[in-house]
Amino acid sequence: MGAISVDLAVNGLITGLFYALMAIGLSLIFGILRIVNFAHGEFYMVGAYAYTLIALGLGVPVWVALPLAFLFGALVGWITERTLMRPLYAGYTSWGLMRDEYAVIVTFGLSLFLINLVDKVIGPYAYRGPPLVDASRIVLGPVLISGHRLLAAGIAIAVILITAALIKWSFWGKQIRAVSQNRLGASLAGIDTARASSIVFMLSGGLAAFSGALLSPVINASPDVGAFPAIKSYIIVVLGGMGSVPGSIVASLALGIIESFGAVYLSYQYRDGFGLILLMLFLLFRPQGLFGEKGREV
Amino acid sequence: MSASETPLHSGGADKRSVASTSTGKSAVEFRAAIAFLIVIALIPAVVRNDYWLGVLIVSMYFAILTGAWNLLAGYTGQFSLAPATFAMIGAYATGLLCTAFGVPPLLGIVAAILIAGLTGLILGRIVLRLTGPYLALTTLSFAEIMRLVASNSIDITRGDLGLAVPGLLSSRIGWYYIFVGVLAFLLVALYALLRSKAGLFLQAIRDDEVAAARSGVDVVFWKTAAFALSAAASGFAGALYAHFAELVTPELGLIGQTGLIVSMAVIGGMGTLAGPLIAAFLVYVLSEWLRDVGGYQLVVFSALVVIFARFFREGLWGLARGAMQRWRRS
Repeated sequence: MGAISVDLAVNGLITGLFYALMAIGLSLIFGILRIVNFAHGEFYMVGAYAYTLIALGLGVPVWVALPLAFLFGALVGWITERTLMRPLYAGYTSWGLMRDEYAVIVTFGLSLFLINLVDKVIGPYAYRGPPLVDASRIVLGPVLISGHRLLAAGIAIAVILITAALIKWSFWGKQIRAVSQNRLGASLAGIDTARASSIVFMLSGGLAAFSGALLSPVINASPDVGAFPAIKSYIIVVLGGMGSVPGSIVASLALGIIESFGAVYLSYQYRDGFGLILLMLFLLFRPQGLFGEKGREV
Repeated sequence: MSASETPLHSGGADKRSVASTSTGKSAVEFRAAIAFLIVIALIPAVVRNDYWLGVLIVSMYFAILTGAWNLLAGYTGQFSLAPATFAMIGAYATGLLCTAFGVPPLLGIVAAILIAGLTGLILGRIVLRLTGPYLALTTLSFAEIMRLVASNSIDITRGDLGLAVPGLLSSRIGWYYIFVGVLAFLLVALYALLRSKAGLFLQAIRDDEVAAARSGVDVVFWKTAAFALSAAASGFAGALYAHFAELVTPELGLIGQTGLIVSMAVIGGMGTLAGPLIAAFLVYVLSEWLRDVGGYQLVVFSALVVIFARFFREGLWGLARGAMQRWRRS
């Protein structure tokens, strides 16, 4: 393996980490409500703006602005769940056909609304977020990387591990997993399914906003900045198996590496197309993804 | 409707299907749609301004796309996120045939309808087993791939610069009536389709695919047919638009365009004949007017989509029908 390959692999993995941070929230929402949130990219956008404007506009230190961006995303997620998602599971037994359509329309509409609202209120200009550290390039053997990217990758690993541990072992995490497996069964066992959904949306919005904040020094905050990471997240949740958190982490890293090598060895122009083709192939031939289980109905 | 408090009241699907399958109601819708089109056809008697005629022509372009998408999503329950892509395919089909091979525009438009329809047939065949979020994601990625191809094949399509396409006629009034004619033709065709057995099959598939299959509906055939017909009509609109604007860009296939089409159908009332048609004009003309006022048009319409989907699932047409019924009773 040549030096270029090591560099591509490391950079691909780091990109994959950011994808994972973004995709976990989408996967959790799919798990608990069986819907795809088409406004997920706008949670990312909200975080990028919150971080950039709080840090630059108010002069708050970046280490305070970063968690604030998480909270801001969580707030938007909570509002979304309370105002728009409740009809999905209140009386869900008789909802029937319109449920999927409603979810697509309402999240798609919310996405357009947030993009255009920010475009009008804050303006269409791109804002560059302040980097966490000023070291512009660090050389590690054959790998060349910016200090911010390296630090952000470390933070991403920590946040992903904390999230995965919370889902796996915490009380609320167990509730969330129970509701994902069987909403009716969980509610019969005394779990507040509405609260579990709220928590998932807050976590999902917070994580997406957090990744937006982390990446804002690299990808400037602009109204439509969320479209690109959102599409990556859709690809990842399909590849990893809809609703599977470990699956989406593995799929994120894989996609990061595939794109990093593909851009060099296959085609640079179509680097964003590889994942989309994978998404279609998976949906057609292996809809349960790499790690997902085939549907278990009770 | 407050489904969150009253589980018993959440049968939106049942209500809608009853409303749209009964032939009496759809005849009312058809008459309303024709009356609306007559008004549209008479507008040039009053408005001679080229700018506003252009706005109305683009409204008709969107009305065709919205109607085509409504056939697929509103009547067949196949929630595709690629309607704008088929318009883009149609536009590039005729554009490339005319510029690279010197095909006359009229033949190019016919070819565009066939090419878009065939693409729709293949896509429909591929996504046959997918529903809900899976279908939405697959069609969304199809749309993105097609747009990437169009903007990256710079040698053929000139990429984002856009492809210059020969015009068909220079008179704006002429174009206006071409679009009125095509829109009227497609409206009558859609109505005839819905009144026939095919319409019942499609709506049966929407309401319960398994039950439809058990009752002997050829689900594979009709779902694919709905995809192909919807794509062909979208391709028709795209091809006409290409010769009207004399320029084709990958922007025709942007997700935002699909967003506009979905907004029009949802605000008008999905699964109704007249609602999406009227809403297409309403949304587009209002958005041109709001653009002058302060550019809040997209904020307003995306908010309206969310509000209508959340509280008025039957759209403006459903609201108007409800108001009529209350007025008659009193």
